[in-house]
Amino acid sequence: MIFVAPWLLLALAGLPVLWWLLRVSPPTPRTEIFPAVRLLAGLPSTEETPAHTPWWLLLLRVVAAGLVIVGLAQPVWRAGADLAGAGRVLLVVDDGWASATDWPRRMTAAGGVLDRAARAGRKVVLLTTATGTSGAAPKLSPTLPPSEVRARLAALRPKPWPVDRAASASALRAAGSAGAVFYIADGLVDADWDVFAAALQVAGTLTVLRADVAPARLLQTPTAEADGFTVHVAQVPRPVAETVGVLAQAGDGRTLARVDAVVPADAGTAKAKLVLPPELRNRLTRLTIEGTASAGGVALLDERFRRRPVGLLAGNAISADTPLTGPLFYVRRALAPYAELRDGDLRTLLARDLSVLVLADRIVSDGAERDALTAWVEKGGLLLRFAGPSTADHPDALLPVQLAAGDRRLGGAMSWSQPAALAPFQPGSAFEGLTIPPDVRINRQVLAAPGAQLSGQTWASLTDGTPLVTQRAVGAGRIVLFHVTANADWSDLPLSGLFVDMLRRLVAQAVGVAGDDAAARLAPVESLDGFGLLGAPPPSASAITGAELAGAVAGAKHPPGFYGPQAGRRALNLANNLPLPVAAPAISGAKLEPLRDASPERELAPWLLATALGLLAIDLLLALRLRGLLSAAVVLLMLAPAARAQPTNPALATHLAFVTSGDSAADALSQAGLFGLSDYVNRRTNADLAEPVGVVPGKSDLSLYPLLYWRVSADTATPPSAAIAALNDFMSHGGIILIDTASGGSSTGFSSGPDPILQRVTAGLAIPPLAALTIQHVLARAFYLLQDFPGRYTGDVVWVQRDQDRSNDSVSPVIIGGNDWASAWAIDGQGRNPYAVIPGGARQRVLAYRFGINLVMYALTGNYKGDQVHVPAILERLGQ
Amino acid sequence: MTQTARQAEVIAGRLPPLQVAAARVAATVWQGVHGRRRVGVGDGIWQFRPFVVGDEVRRIDWRKSALADALIVRETEWEAAQTVVLWRDGSPSMQWKSRGADVAKLDRAGLLVLALAALLLRGGERVRLLGSDRQYGGAGGLDRLALDLAGLAAEDGLPTAMAAVPRHARMVLIGDFLAPPEAIAASVGRLASLPAGGHLVQVLDPAEVDLPYRGRVRFTGLEREAPTLVRRVEGLRGAYGARLAAQRASLAAIAAGAGWGCSLHQTDAPPETALLALYLALSDGRGR
Repeated sequence: MIFVAPWLLLALAGLPVLWWLLRVSPPTPRTEIFPAVRLLAGLPSTEETPAHTPWWLLLLRVVAAGLVIVGLAQPVWRAGADLAGAGRVLLVVDDGWASATDWPRRMTAAGGVLDRAARAGRKVVLLTTATGTSGAAPKLSPTLPPSEVRARLAALRPKPWPVDRAASASALRAAGSAGAVFYIADGLVDADWDVFAAALQVAGTLTVLRADVAPARLLQTPTAEADGFTVHVAQVPRPVAETVGVLAQAGDGRTLARVDAVVPADAGTAKAKLVLPPELRNRLTRLTIEGTASAGGVALLDERFRRRPVGLLAGNAISADTPLTGPLFYVRRALAPYAELRDGDLRTLLARDLSVLVLADRIVSDGAERDALTAWVEKGGLLLRFAGPSTADHPDALLPVQLAAGDRRLGGAMSWSQPAALAPFQPGSAFEGLTIPPDVRINRQVLAAPGAQLSGQTWASLTDGTPLVTQRAVGAGRIVLFHVTANADWSDLPLSGLFVDMLRRLVAQAVGVAGDDAAARLAPVESLDGFGLLGAPPPSASAITGAELAGAVAGAKHPPGFYGPQAGRRALNLANNLPLPVAAPAISGAKLEPLRDASPERELAPWLLATALGLLAIDLLLALRLRGLLSAAVVLLMLAPAARAQPTNPALATHLAFVTSGDSAADALSQAGLFGLSDYVNRRTNADLAEPVGVVPGKSDLSLYPLLYWRVSADTATPPSAAIAALNDFMSHGGIILIDTASGGSSTGFSSGPDPILQRVTAGLAIPPLAALTIQHVLARAFYLLQDFPGRYTGDVVWVQRDQDRSNDSVSPVIIGGNDWASAWAIDGQGRNPYAVIPGGARQRVLAYRFGINLVMYALTGNYKGDQVHVPAILERLGQ
Repeated sequence: MTQTARQAEVIAGRLPPLQVAAARVAATVWQGVHGRRRVGVGDGIWQFRPFVVGDEVRRIDWRKSALADALIVRETEWEAAQTVVLWRDGSPSMQWKSRGADVAKLDRAGLLVLALAALLLRGGERVRLLGSDRQYGGAGGLDRLALDLAGLAAEDGLPTAMAAVPRHARMVLIGDFLAPPEAIAASVGRLASLPAGGHLVQVLDPAEVDLPYRGRVRFTGLEREAPTLVRRVEGLRGAYGARLAAQRASLAAIAAGAGWGCSLHQTDAPPETALLALYLALSDGRGR
């Protein structure tokens, strides 16, 4: 343990003085209010009380003071050795792809170096050895205090490309001599390693911080196989065998398959076969090494690994797809689940990218047609041909083998021979490993002219040795010939499952298509960062042509990632053209330090100071206690939670209420509408309405509310039986429900209107027989005399109870209409009406409010105003 | 609601229990002194005499004169009722109560004033408050007195205002009387020279008598006295008791010098005893 400011420890010598001072200075006396203080004044003090602070309190304070002193001296636990030399410190950090795997450890190590430099008061020069994302070659930073270097390190990220040792070496040579040099190495060697190591050696006293074995792994571009991929993993040879998991991931990040590659001891590479069904394979976008976040562990897959468009063309286009007999009938069914099938004439098919072209007994004419096909095959196309009568009669040039004239029949009435079975597939054949069903028989075939290479070109043959499938490589592509027809005329083969497997193998082997325009410049679209995540390309990234892409090595100019337009996207992988990783030798004369997960140094000062603060807080409480200022009541008062405001009792005021629908917008509208109505009622009448309340029938106590506003729409859920029961109870005890469908006459024309909704929602309600609301009804004269009852809309019929029910004071328990009254009543926070009335006019709004007032009066006073109906009769009686 | 109205409400809310307590205390005392025959004081004495030249015309009792031949003048001995002037100390030190005490000195003093007033009013005496211009009498007098008592401004520890004190009134001063004896002597002497008889009641909190504190305590007063730091209160108890006794002795001497009575009341004692002593002292004084 060392102290950064050891001279502060001298203050510990003052602790005894502090002890003495605390001891002689008495504690603050308790304060008492005493009216007869005059009588006390000047009384002789008879004896001296022991006005000393208790020893344990004294000890507490002295310990706290000691902790503060030791904490300010900044002790560091397990501090590293002092830096060599004097002057500035040179910190060299490898930030290429190989550093990403254990990047946090590298940053911890760099932070440790900066801590030591900061303690020694030395400045630091930082050199990162990879080309920056702006494309700038590695160069030295200015000489900076460690705190600023720390900020730079915090912003530093590993780059998805290799380090540039040549440029770093020249930067090192330009730096001249520094006192101490720290090199945080990725542990890999490349062509310029010797120059770099030499430059490091002369730069100063060198310490190399590195892992024992470079942890970086490289996932190389996979090779496409007939039924999947072969993945290749490369790494620095290690003394023990290791298993590397490789994940195949889809574009959305889901892992679709996983395979383990076992790297043997002291070997640098491993490979593993990843078997995938084609439908899964087409969804892959990347392969990654499990458990590492590094651009080296990611292989991006572009279109070439996925799309296999297959063109279908038959000699007789009319009968091509005739069920069970057409030449393309079986091919189409075999390939449709696995590949993209295209139809058209030859020129149309070749005009687009195509992986496989199936010609079923179609003769290729000489001239332009043959030239176009040849050019396409040489570029990598797979020409898959099926024989047939036409082919047998007129063999053309685009066949893998020369055909003997005519065809050969096996079996049949005129033949001695029996239909032949298939021989097992030979090693090297594309069909190797497929199981041959025993019942497949070949009746008829075209024969190849014997030749020296015939056996090498044969992928499948009959038991008598005659070839069934022959092939020939042409340029980058291949021509494959089935010596039988694609329908069941000549053989049972198209009827068997083997046919499907053979076609899938062939299609999978074909080269995928991609934008093969070699000269077009492909702009970077997405690129990997050092941790293997796709993102926006760095500023240094520039476009690359398709031809260059094949031989490009990833760098700042061309970061690994996707290039080109969406249709023909190409991937540049870090591992392309990158040499296998080789471990760097030790630099002679350098001191080695391992990378650790966490810095061994521990700053003790914060803990000491925090403990001292805690002790002083305890001391404060104790001092308050001794002075009698701290009572249990005070502590409880501090700890007690604030008393909560009680919700107001809804029974204390009259509230209008609305049925909550669960739709917050509709509920807010109902609330605003009733608020506006309550406000209007309060201003115009003696009624005093409080804030409207949202209620849930069946849960809330409805008996407290005179009027329920229920806004019904198509979204309104059918109320549960408990709610129905509550609403029926509410109505039978004098409550009024205003059901507003807010539909405004929308039931005209083709719209079914609100009726089905109303029927659904009110199915269980005890609604009495209804009649249209007329101006004779009490509701039309409860406060204002109304001729109609508009809301936001006008003209809709309003329905009330038809019969007078004396038991309920002749008050209609339900009022149904569609005039959307709440919108007309609603006011917002500024007191404005947010919803225009339709057709409009201030008069309609006023009438809407008047209807609302009549409604409230009707709800509050029942048929009180109904007596007015009888005024003429009463007057007449009085007159008699 | 205005501030004044709020205060009035607070005061009104506080008065009735005080008044009721005062009535209850007074009733118990009244029974105790009931057997005494009261000398003719009050409204009941009338004197009629013939009109002589020089009497005011408006003093003629025309009804009596109609019954007789000559003019009769009605005279009332309205000065005959004794006026008792009450005062209680409203200074901040009176509003203090020690930890564990039930009532503040001020509340106890107010209770004594009201109870005494209730007794006196029931006996037909006139009651005045020192510091208030009104004179209270009759049935509603107690209510008004209670209101005015609560509304009296806080003042220094000794009575000063004496504008409305009639001559030969009797005074009852209730307070803690912890002020310097010279100031008390001056104040009492001024009142006694009106002339007026009287009685002093010293109301003290038990803590002021016993000094129950321990250890190192800084004592602060309520009326701008300088704080006093006492290192060890236990050791001072005896000396303090002596000083308090001296204060009381000088208070008694002051009262005796003015011909007044003097008594002590502690707030932990029942108020009835103090009231009884006070009432008897007043009765005796009047009988003398």
